[in-house]
Amino acid sequence: MLAIEKLQVNYGSITALRGVDITVAKGEIVAVIGPNGAGKSTLLLTIAGVVKAKAGSVKFDSRPILGLAPEKLAASGLALVPEGRHIFGSLSVAENIALGATPRSDRDGIAADTDKVLGMFPVLRDRYRQRAGNLSGGEQQMLAIGRALLSRPKLLLLDEPSLGLAPLIVKQVYDAIYALREQGLTVLVVEQSVNRALNAADRAYVMSGGAIAMVGRSSELQGTAEFDAAYFGAGQRDPGRSPA
Amino acid sequence: MIVVQNLIDAISLGSVYALAALGIGLIFSIMRLINFAHGELIMVGGFVIYALAGNPMLVMALSAIIVVTILALGMERLAFRPLRKASPPTLLIASFAVSYFVQHVILMIFGSRPMGVDFLSVLGESFEFAGLRVPRLQCIAIVVTLALMVGLVVFFRASRIGVQMRAAAEDFTMARLLGVKADRVIAVAFALSGILASFVSLYLVAQTGTVSYKMGVNMVLIAFVASVIGGMGSLTGAALGGFIVGIVSVSLQAYLPEELRPYRDAFVFLLFIAFLLWRPQGLLVRRASERV
Repeated sequence: MLAIEKLQVNYGSITALRGVDITVAKGEIVAVIGPNGAGKSTLLLTIAGVVKAKAGSVKFDSRPILGLAPEKLAASGLALVPEGRHIFGSLSVAENIALGATPRSDRDGIAADTDKVLGMFPVLRDRYRQRAGNLSGGEQQMLAIGRALLSRPKLLLLDEPSLGLAPLIVKQVYDAIYALREQGLTVLVVEQSVNRALNAADRAYVMSGGAIAMVGRSSELQGTAEFDAAYFGAGQRDPGRSPA
Repeated sequence: MIVVQNLIDAISLGSVYALAALGIGLIFSIMRLINFAHGELIMVGGFVIYALAGNPMLVMALSAIIVVTILALGMERLAFRPLRKASPPTLLIASFAVSYFVQHVILMIFGSRPMGVDFLSVLGESFEFAGLRVPRLQCIAIVVTLALMVGLVVFFRASRIGVQMRAAAEDFTMARLLGVKADRVIAVAFALSGILASFVSLYLVAQTGTVSYKMGVNMVLIAFVASVIGGMGSLTGAALGGFIVGIVSVSLQAYLPEELRPYRDAFVFLLFIAFLLWRPQGLLVRRASERV
């Protein structure tokens, strides 16, 4: 579904990604975890076409996609829920959701999918006609995910979906992600919250300093000394303790 | 009675300023470009009417609307699209370059002297209403402006591309991530600004009966002031700013001591400076939204 090879991204003279390799198979949930500044958000923004890559390749459905405009990628089945959610605060909840369906023109399908999203996040139905800017953080996250689903993506990129949310809301958001996986959606999720991500994902990549430090099945990574070393940097933390 | 008379003058002038300010505000809200070449759209509309003098009024008016809209789209395609990723100061300077270029092309073709046109001069006549003398042109300016504004509101609320444009104005990158086509929303914004500019042309030519290659300069300056007063990025603000500048101008014209009236615009801009010291972000501006 997604194959990233030797991806390199520079911001001016700073190297944000230094040769990243990641693969995501169809139907998988893959997590990228790592400390702040590891380059996780840059990775997602590059895949989605917002940030330009310096070198390397990204293939989506076996097609090279580096250099394509974000709107082209959205139309080809890729959806990004960026960090900070970026809902349109001055627009209504209904308009935000409708914008998710921008690449589509099948009215009936859009109506059915809108209904599905409102069933998944009932609070959005209650606030359907309200300004999206008046929603709480958790509701905005649900709106951002629901909006992204309206494009019927094959691959969903989620950047820090649990950031700043109450645990109960985080659970609700992740329950939705599991349900989506059941329906065959492929997900690449970036998280700082390690346990949350490892519990949700089939496989995980640990990123540090713009490079992949480690990769494995989530169950194998959890609590190992190598994982701690990769995540926190060798010698910075007692390897006996599991990461928070 | 004189107060009501002045109020009608103020609202009609304000409505034309509001149309011009909406054209500036629309482009700014979508791509953070202060398009000083907007005045040249207005000016070229005037010259289309001049060039077609003698034809039926409807032909002149429709031709002006079509030519100006195409010119607006051409400016976007040739000058502003290649600079889309440039900084706002670069875009601003590019808009000055486009503005001078268009002015001088017109200067080369038509010369520098203002020229008279007979266009809708019948509207210069007034009718009596409840003891007031109301020039028809003023009434029509108010009605047409309101109709265009209602049309814009419906367009932005009810049409898919209109909602996409509001989203793009708030967070352009996020809109693109959802599949909103950057080229299309910007082109539609320029087309709309061209339509708005052409209606200002119609009013200016009908009111003054002349065209000159400088006729857009003053209008674009006032439109810019109006959109800043309302708050750059807010379309409601741009329209409100236009009406405020119209009301202030007419009030100064009516109530300044006679010997100061020729310097009316100096007072308008003096008040503008005072306003900026009080409220630099404009009347209706929202908190700037964070961008991806």
